[in-house]
Amino acid sequence: MNASKQLKTLIRTTFATLASLVMIGGLASNLYSAEPSAAASPPNTDTSSPTNSLAVVTKAPEAQPAAVRKQLTGAELYSMHCNRCHPERYPTERTAAQWKTIMLHMQVRANIPVGQSKLILQYLQDNSGR
Amino acid sequence: MKTNLRLFGLVIAGCMMAAVPTHVSATVSDADFNALKELVQQMNGKLQSLEQTNQLAQQTIQQLQQQLSETKEIATNAEQKSIEAAQAQPQSRQPIDEATVNHNFMILGDAEFQYTKSAGQHGGFVQADFAPIFLYRGGDNILFEVGFDTALQNGSAPTPSDPTVNHDAGSSTSFDLSFAQLDYVMNDYMTLCAGDLLLPLGTYTQRGAGWLNKMPDDPLAVDALIPGSGIGAELQGAFPLGDSGKLLNYAVYAVNGPSSMDGTGSANQLDLGGNVGIRSDGTTANLHGNPTGGARFGVFLPFKPHYDLELGISGQTGEWDDAGNHLYTAGVFDATLHLGPSFEAKGEYIVSRYGSDDMGNIHQQGWFAQAGYKLAGLNLELPVINNTELVGRIDSLHDGMGTSTQRYTAGFIYYFTNTLLFEGDYEFLHSNDPSQVGQLIMQLSYGF
Repeated sequence: MNASKQLKTLIRTTFATLASLVMIGGLASNLYSAEPSAAASPPNTDTSSPTNSLAVVTKAPEAQPAAVRKQLTGAELYSMHCNRCHPERYPTERTAAQWKTIMLHMQVRANIPVGQSKLILQYLQDNSGR
Repeated sequence: MKTNLRLFGLVIAGCMMAAVPTHVSATVSDADFNALKELVQQMNGKLQSLEQTNQLAQQTIQQLQQQLSETKEIATNAEQKSIEAAQAQPQSRQPIDEATVNHNFMILGDAEFQYTKSAGQHGGFVQADFAPIFLYRGGDNILFEVGFDTALQNGSAPTPSDPTVNHDAGSSTSFDLSFAQLDYVMNDYMTLCAGDLLLPLGTYTQRGAGWLNKMPDDPLAVDALIPGSGIGAELQGAFPLGDSGKLLNYAVYAVNGPSSMDGTGSANQLDLGGNVGIRSDGTTANLHGNPTGGARFGVFLPFKPHYDLELGISGQTGEWDDAGNHLYTAGVFDATLHLGPSFEAKGEYIVSRYGSDDMGNIHQQGWFAQAGYKLAGLNLELPVINNTELVGRIDSLHDGMGTSTQRYTAGFIYYFTNTLLFEGDYEFLHSNDPSQVGQLIMQLSYGF
């Protein structure tokens, strides 16, 4: 019985250690590879996306130099807010009218200011499927 | 015009030369005379050509004027005919630009199918869950949203007294109302919500539905210590802090809140969900005192897209028993961290306290911390690894009456797409309650 408990403890410890190492290693590499220029880049929607294997091409706005940028773009706000709760949904998944309804739902659910919600909606509608 | 003037000059010059006295002409040589004569003839030819051109131009102008008048007449007739046609027939339906439609109805939601194998028990497919959310948008500022949870369960077993009972799997179905609320965006910083609300006690309750959750089940403390929804009204909103995306969130609400348990002899037992509607004795009175009040204040601090920290503190308090003698109070501290598109960590610390008739104030507490790392962040570019996320969670619960449980969960998520997930987890459990055992859970989740 004790041997069984020890075995279970060993398996748990090993699993937890491995999982922690992978997470910490991945996190460290992610932080190391993160460059300031990535901040202005639009959300990743190519096939290497960690959340989707679908190839989706969107019209991402061009990045502006940080020195002259005064307001976050809809694409940037989309990347900030949608990822807070769920894997990002691609603009092409819905029509412009559907995005209008969904964004009102998300505005309430995630408590997003109306101004930012409108910018995200504009980005989604500009790149919507139909 | 210049050409005409030149020609006119030449003609005048010719006339003057013709009028020169004889004694002058006598001095002109034959060669000069012939040259001058030839020049005059050329001028005459050009003059005739110009006159012909002018006549042709006049004819062309007349033709164009005639065509113009005919076109005007045709247009006038067409306009008259269209007016007559419009008056004679009803207005045809114009094509609608879908994006500008004033209202819209749609369905979102999720579905889960789960297999569970608990230690010491037979494994089985224990859940088939369909949870649609119906959205109706009326204009730009009004939204009605209602969420249901439909789960299939095994039917009743045939009994000796009634062997005809259908025992097909799924013949029994639970159908629950998860939330039903009307949202009215009053201005840029304030939204009024009323109905059966998902309560902002922490963030898990509002953001943990089905496929949004990285684990196939809820944290122990969330289920045991705080209510998930409540019927009442709420004001919520957010204020931007500068131009970098930082936000200050608030939500203030009043709901019926927890109540005493429905049923004979259960008046001294707390029911977090509350009891509203038709009671087991057929009456519709509530089983608690005054409505409960609560609030959440949070701050969202994005560093750049996909890198952010969110902190929040929330609480709720109110009378819970029918006599109005006891209070239920809960407090939650929540935190969520994103470091890149691949890493997320979140956790909540929950405390609650409620008065009882025979045990005094019962203090409960619990917490959970969970993290997930998408292996795509390693940039290995391997097809299976690229779509896999490792997840882990630690959660704890002390029920205030002697039972303590710690649970360690480790597992993975495989993303078939961004909304179709396969989750596999094993939960190691330590508890002084022997009925609490570890289990293996596998779940297929789909969000739509």
